[in-house]
Amino acid sequence: MNLSGILVVAKPEWLDTVIAELKALPGLEVHQTEPDTGRIVVVQEAPDIRAEMAALRAIKALPHVVLAEMVYHYIAEDEQVFDELPPELQAQEGEACAIPSYLQD
Amino acid sequence: MALTRREFLKTSIAASTAATVGMPLSKAAEAAVKQAEAGWQWDKSVCRFCGTGCGIMVATEGGRIVATKGDPDAPVNRGLNCVKGYFNGKILYGKDRLTQPLLRMTNGKFDKKGKFQPISWEQAMDILEEKIRWALKEKGPNGISIFGSGQYTIHEGYAAAKLMKAGFRSNNLDPNARHCMASAVAAFMQTFGIDEPQGNYDDIEHTDTAVLWGANMAEMHPILWSRITNRRLTHKNMKVVNLSTYGNMSSDIADIEIIFAPSGDLAIQNFIAREIIRRNAVDWDFVNKHTVFATGPYDIGYGFRPANVEKFASAAEMETFKNEKVRVLDKYEAIGQRRKPGEVVEQKNAATPGKDWAISFEDFKAALEPYTLDYTAEVAKGDPDEPMEQFKAKLQALADLYCEKGRKIVSYWTMGFNQHQRGTWVNEQCYMNHLLTGRQSKPGNGAFSLTGQPSACGTAREVGTFAHRLPADMVVDNKKHRDIAEKIWKLPTNTINPKIGSHYVKIMRDLEDGQILFSWTQVNNPWQNTANANHWIKAAREMNNFIVVSDAYPGVSAKVADLILPAAMINEKWGAYGNAERRTQVWRQQVMPPGQARPDLWMMLELSKRFKIKEVWGEQPMPGLKAEGFPDNKLPSVLDEAVKMGYSPDSTLYEVLFATPENKKVKWPDPVAKGHPNITADLLKDGWFPEKALFEEYRKFGSGKAHDLAPFDVYHHDKVRGLRWPVVEKDGKWVETPWRNNEQYDPYVKKGAGFEFYGNNGKTLVMGNLDAPGDGSKKVDISGKAKIYFRPYASPVEKPDANWDLWLCTGRVLEHWHSGTMTRRVPELHRAVPAAVCWMHPKDAEARGLKRNDLVWVESRRGKVKVRIETGGRNRVPRGLVYVPWFDEGVLINKVTLDSTCPISKETDYKKCAVKVYKA
Repeated sequence: MNLSGILVVAKPEWLDTVIAELKALPGLEVHQTEPDTGRIVVVQEAPDIRAEMAALRAIKALPHVVLAEMVYHYIAEDEQVFDELPPELQAQEGEACAIPSYLQD
Repeated sequence: MALTRREFLKTSIAASTAATVGMPLSKAAEAAVKQAEAGWQWDKSVCRFCGTGCGIMVATEGGRIVATKGDPDAPVNRGLNCVKGYFNGKILYGKDRLTQPLLRMTNGKFDKKGKFQPISWEQAMDILEEKIRWALKEKGPNGISIFGSGQYTIHEGYAAAKLMKAGFRSNNLDPNARHCMASAVAAFMQTFGIDEPQGNYDDIEHTDTAVLWGANMAEMHPILWSRITNRRLTHKNMKVVNLSTYGNMSSDIADIEIIFAPSGDLAIQNFIAREIIRRNAVDWDFVNKHTVFATGPYDIGYGFRPANVEKFASAAEMETFKNEKVRVLDKYEAIGQRRKPGEVVEQKNAATPGKDWAISFEDFKAALEPYTLDYTAEVAKGDPDEPMEQFKAKLQALADLYCEKGRKIVSYWTMGFNQHQRGTWVNEQCYMNHLLTGRQSKPGNGAFSLTGQPSACGTAREVGTFAHRLPADMVVDNKKHRDIAEKIWKLPTNTINPKIGSHYVKIMRDLEDGQILFSWTQVNNPWQNTANANHWIKAAREMNNFIVVSDAYPGVSAKVADLILPAAMINEKWGAYGNAERRTQVWRQQVMPPGQARPDLWMMLELSKRFKIKEVWGEQPMPGLKAEGFPDNKLPSVLDEAVKMGYSPDSTLYEVLFATPENKKVKWPDPVAKGHPNITADLLKDGWFPEKALFEEYRKFGSGKAHDLAPFDVYHHDKVRGLRWPVVEKDGKWVETPWRNNEQYDPYVKKGAGFEFYGNNGKTLVMGNLDAPGDGSKKVDISGKAKIYFRPYASPVEKPDANWDLWLCTGRVLEHWHSGTMTRRVPELHRAVPAAVCWMHPKDAEARGLKRNDLVWVESRRGKVKVRIETGGRNRVPRGLVYVPWFDEGVLINKVTLDSTCPISKETDYKKCAVKVYKA
């Protein structure tokens, strides 16, 4: 699971429309807005980075959105994902990181 | 009604995000952040990845990094992060981190054909010492080399340069930055006499036009791109032009997208210059006061191996390599160079490609005459399916922007220009058009070279970890510069070797030749990143040499190594980087490296304890050395003078170069650390603060020479987010320089001059004509002036033909950085883009009976790799060109690429060679 804080900037006159569209996107919560500047803080929950990137692109593609970039990334909760490595980089069981077998090829 | 842990985290993340971008928080939100982050320690740091230099805040708890966020106070990124920056915390924790030294051994002894086995650091240092001694004994200082890096911290690069140049008297230290922006460096030095951009990122918010030349900023520099996007959407007059050999994500908001044929940029730049003159858009006041017209030879070769080429190259390779000696001009270069098609041109200036001389404006204008719209469009149109009239209209529209009075323009480029057989020329052409129209060194106006590595500027260039360089733009083959360096370093006269060392590609060729016997790789991945890699992998594995690779993760280079040294990563050591806008930024050590992993700086300092000056400062063989004041083929002994200076022959390099009496006065612990650890100081155990001491020593090189840096502690101040050099003390404050060479901002410009390109002060050029320098009787003083070069169109040395029928262009993708050594360890990034693909036009695929996801061979005269075809997605290649990113060691595309370099900068062209693609 990924949790990230994203800043979205909408054209101020379209703020309400953008907020409504954001709320319709899966996994997104709108937390805070600033009507004068069109700034919106959203928190996104996504199963993996692919979904997260796709969602970020979806935000950027919304009409009247000027900018959407990630700001905050929370790490501690998803340690299990460190177990996944590119297949050719995966060490064999019990090898830890000392001498991955592929080094010996 | 207790919130779940996840809901609570989300509230806290939202509040923290809001705070980061400066939105006011409610009391409840502040409390949520406080509670979630209780026990966390936040500190400022810098992004590990590209040359943008974003500020990152890092939170640690219990010796681990637990969160990162964009630094709201960082002027570069203002709290934002791109997807790579977002994972700065995670790159430390990949499962296969190297945590102990590994040596190839059989029966407990080093064996080049043996298997890797863990050894202690003591044993690692023993074998390092033994092999360096062996190489020095066999070949002298030329027998050893270091592949350095644009990812070195400033301290690491400085220590490497000093150890090699002052200690071992070898100039065979060259960074991977050679592959990255050496062409930019050469053009800066030739044009302005001083390295690095005049402007800065704030140009984006001042400009009306961003022109991208071979820089896919949307993917490679996303944070700067977000600033450009913002400007595009909020400034009515703003235009964006994307010039590239294929359509990419940066075209999405571009007003004009120009797809040009490889090397067509050379013609397009000259077309623009011709239009500027034809339409009377020259800023004559600026040109007359601040510039001089110049040119150089065209017959400069292609940077192939100058000697022994037949010994190593296959017959197929020779078809391309033979151009190094003799070139038969094709139709387009004949026109662009005022010659006849089919003319046979001996490449007489292959060894002197950087020669230049002054020319008159009339000659300059005459040289541009062939670059008409018709000619340029014919040479440069890159998409065979685009109608000619449409392409011409785009070129006109581009020229219109340059000719529009009062329009501000910033040009950006990265590898498209720099990795170019005429990389120095095309960089210089960009300055040509900015200088002609007075659009340089002004807010919102300037040609700006972006960098790809976090300290390509700060370390590789400013510290000078190149084979020809010393700190602060000085060079080893200049007696005055050596004198200055020897004085600051307290070395006997003539310690520094005056012969330029082997550049990056030449180190590989020297390994293949058996000239270099010892090679140490630091903070980069040479066997993945060097073109024509089959040769170099074979040389490393089959020649009698010793290859050392320091790295955090095992990449291709580690696999070909004999000894692997586990390195500490960013935030596991103290460091400093310099970004593309001359901003020097620092960080403290946040966590300890895992296992036995140790900082590169410690490795070098520890090694230096094992060599006494009597072993390295005696007379040394140096083939080819004929510099002024030096005996032929020898570096003289400087031991007698060393003794006169108070050194003992038994003094170690550690004592003479690093732990000097002055440096040892800089004590560890130091209040600037605010309780953070320093593993290097702790391991050395002799009470000094190496990073601070070396930085203070390094500062001496630039002070008063327009490269001034502030003291170490100033950069570490809580409120400081890096400073752009020159940083000069004024009324007790350290003041940065946002725009150089402009009187309004730069203290080095003479009062009343307006602009002054002072890098060329005191220099002259011989006056000549377009074809040759004059007899030397007429010289032009170029003090305060920048050069406007005429550089002609030259065709790529290898072009598609009936057999090798496609262009190959290589590069990066957003999710991965360089060779993927770090980013592929972040599972999210790996999953997003698990493997390199070959982007191909659907019609090209169809013509070969291929479809999306088919496994194919991409083969050139040099080698082949297996890869899957992608016919859609983010890159839209024209017919006739394929694009393969190079991050994936499973698709080692550099086995296929061509090791042709810009002859002036020695930077490899990874953007164009000929291949064929067929079903695997």
